[in-house]
Amino acid sequence: MDDKEIKEIAAINKITFAQRMREYKRKPLSLVMFILVVLAAALSVLALVFLIVYILVMGVPNLTPDLFAWEYNSDNVSCMPAIINTVVITLLTLVIAVPFGIGAAIYLSEYAKRGNKLVKVIRTMAETLSGIPSIVYGLFGMLCFVTAFSWGYSILAGAFTLAIMVLPTIMRTTEEALIAVPDSYREGSFGLGAGKLRTVVKTVLPSAMPGILAGVILAIGRIVGETAALIYTAGSTTGLVDGVMDSGRTLAIHMYMLANEGLHTNQAWGTAVVLLVLVLGINTLSSFIAKKLSSKK
Amino acid sequence: MQGVFFLTAITSIAAVALICIFLFYNGVPAIAEIGFFDFVGGQQWAPTNQPPSYGIFCMIVGSIYVTAGAIIIGVPIGILTAVFLARFCPAPLYKIIKPATELLAGIPSIVYGFFGLMVVVPFIRDTFGGNGSSLLAASVVLGIMILPTIIGVSESAIRAVPEPYYEGSLALGATRERSVFRVMLPASKSGILAGVVLGIGRAIGETMAVILIAGNQVQIPTSLTEGVRTLTANIVLEMGYSTGLHRQALIATGVVLFVFILLITLSMQAIKSRSEKNG
Amino acid sequence: MKKTSKVLTLAVAALMAVSAFAGCGNGGSSSASGESSGSSQAQAGSFDTSKEITVVTREQGSGTRDAFVELTGVLVEDGDTKTDNTTASAVTVNGTEAVITNVKGNDAAIGYISLGSLNDTVKAVDIDGVEVTADNVKSGEYKISRPFNIAYKGELEGVAKDFVDFIMSADGQAVVAEEGYVTVTEGEVFKSANPSGKISVAGSSSVSPVMEKLIEAYKAINSGADIELQTTDSSAGMTAAMEGTCEIGMASRELKDEEASALESMTIANDGIAVIVNTNNTVEDLTLDQVKSIYTGETTVWSDVIK
Repeated sequence: MDDKEIKEIAAINKITFAQRMREYKRKPLSLVMFILVVLAAALSVLALVFLIVYILVMGVPNLTPDLFAWEYNSDNVSCMPAIINTVVITLLTLVIAVPFGIGAAIYLSEYAKRGNKLVKVIRTMAETLSGIPSIVYGLFGMLCFVTAFSWGYSILAGAFTLAIMVLPTIMRTTEEALIAVPDSYREGSFGLGAGKLRTVVKTVLPSAMPGILAGVILAIGRIVGETAALIYTAGSTTGLVDGVMDSGRTLAIHMYMLANEGLHTNQAWGTAVVLLVLVLGINTLSSFIAKKLSSKK
Repeated sequence: MQGVFFLTAITSIAAVALICIFLFYNGVPAIAEIGFFDFVGGQQWAPTNQPPSYGIFCMIVGSIYVTAGAIIIGVPIGILTAVFLARFCPAPLYKIIKPATELLAGIPSIVYGFFGLMVVVPFIRDTFGGNGSSLLAASVVLGIMILPTIIGVSESAIRAVPEPYYEGSLALGATRERSVFRVMLPASKSGILAGVVLGIGRAIGETMAVILIAGNQVQIPTSLTEGVRTLTANIVLEMGYSTGLHRQALIATGVVLFVFILLITLSMQAIKSRSEKNG
Repeated sequence: MKKTSKVLTLAVAALMAVSAFAGCGNGGSSSASGESSGSSQAQAGSFDTSKEITVVTREQGSGTRDAFVELTGVLVEDGDTKTDNTTASAVTVNGTEAVITNVKGNDAAIGYISLGSLNDTVKAVDIDGVEVTADNVKSGEYKISRPFNIAYKGELEGVAKDFVDFIMSADGQAVVAEEGYVTVTEGEVFKSANPSGKISVAGSSSVSPVMEKLIEAYKAINSGADIELQTTDSSAGMTAAMEGTCEIGMASRELKDEEASALESMTIANDGIAVIVNTNNTVEDLTLDQVKSIYTGETTVWSDVIK
């Protein structure tokens, strides 16, 4: 059959609108279900669109140049230092979490034997980690890094807390990406005389790169939006951080503080728009990479 | 080299162990001092009184109520929307809706909280009476917050059902809707359930949004328009100002929350392993 | 099939458009209602006094709440026992903004906030016939007020000493007054010793807005100093000062005994606590007893306190 024939068959099987209506008349329950589905979808979309539009309407008028001045002071409540702090804390978190996440994924997918009891335990633990609410991470980070290790409120303490938080995300996506690499790649590499490590590093990892990147970007998204886990670990000082032991606020905390102090609600909405744009950018990047991944296949 | 990879792999075990140790070490003595049943079953929370009382029963009930409310609102809409996206949605529309739901999953919860305070709370106050900051407001906002999770997971579960199931059902004369609801949904049951459990986890652990809209009264609500305080709200509200036993009691509240989440995760594992056995 | 999907697309697109308009409309109307609330206040009687009072309070342990319940008598002390009788149905929030937002949006709400955070989106009521102003707090006529304290361990030196000198000088107190708080001393003109170095100041979120201004004003005089501000809360600030993790701690309440024995402290400003209601509310004046009976839940409707 060529394409044309398939199209003709498909055309014969197409039900017209009138036919569909007749069918609904016979089976009104189907119509009810269809309406319910469309209504629910419309409701979801409505809620989502309303939320986004509301944030934009409230926030965009407040996006003044002052909001992006280099120096923070109590008159302009610039979010620029917070943006830079967010970048710093994100990089620091990734430096800690990515090697561990990728290493763990390599172990799980390349080295561990199938049905290994330990692998099951590791998976369960990773899933437990991903289910823990951020406020519990915040408590833990405060008790462990801030108090017990006496690092004080510092972006290092914040970054370690966040690193544990995003570890399961990176682990899982990397593992999925590794599993998706066809076995023929590995066999080919082995056939050419490469050892296990060489095969993993030179062949499997590069071909799984887009998947790994997508996971890392997912993690970035979570870091950028985090409040509860950071408020008791990284602290809330307003300036730029000048070292990993210094305390500093990220953009999300900046917004929380602005809103809570009660003097800068407008700027808080403006900051919300900045956050929204950041998240949108991160999402676009990740879906772009995912698309690249699927087009390669 | 395998050793190195192995070490990185067990960090997640170490992390969970560390979290357990630190939380329990700091929280359990407080529970012991207050008395387990006085702590979990007590309905009085007055840490600044002399003598103080630390009972978190109202908060436990509050967390359960709010989560249940979010599930009642979010799950049906989420699953039906997933059905729409997976089976009925025209491609151009899909290209808009899908990224929009992903965007919503990424919005920080503090933004949801302010949205709830500015829009949902006044609406409820004007429509249903009361003061607006209520169980209902928290349920609605949390219901919206868990939508992206439930839509995402359910949609991929429905898409994972082999196409011949659907076609076979159509061929037997069922309508599209009947095929979806009687064939596709049952087949993707365990995936959808996993999404719901994830949603429950997110709802019960949510902090920054709930705190602004739930009213935070320490009471067991008798109607939807009354306020509640959740476990998470209790921690964030008072953590900053607390000292001594009060602070430990708040960490103990975190322990209770942690145990809740452990139970949820374990039940999810159980669902998964059962569905693996069946399938 | 094709037709249905087309119809569907159109329907959903229309819905989305409508929702988008609804979004804009709502955003616009909410700001409009903010403006109109001023005019509706003029036509007395538009406020429904039979409404049940929505009591808004701060969380347990907040410096603002501590001071408020103590001064209004909501907190009952009887020998060793202290009982905070705030009604169980009070909405509890953990920030000044959240209090303002609740009161701004709800005709029947009452709340309390720091005088320095008071703005015209809400209305402050007079207590026992005294308006809440910096002057009335200073003279002691306005009853509900509390001190802003700073505390430090041992002797101050270098930047810390110079900065505290600045706060207590005429220049520093001018900043306090400008922010709407109440000065504690006349002070003299400030002369900096121009030390350089870095110190950190930590503690109460109520004090930090004015502290932020003080730090900025000080840095303008002595550019060699680097002062870090950590906003947490009174107890954490005192603990940090005792542990030495910060040079100066801030508290929006009196120091507790164990804190007072370990730290040197001084009051840098006083702050009135304003009792606020919605701008539509016709109430202008409450007695301290009325405030107390509202917060303990004895008075539940506005008509009981509005003549």
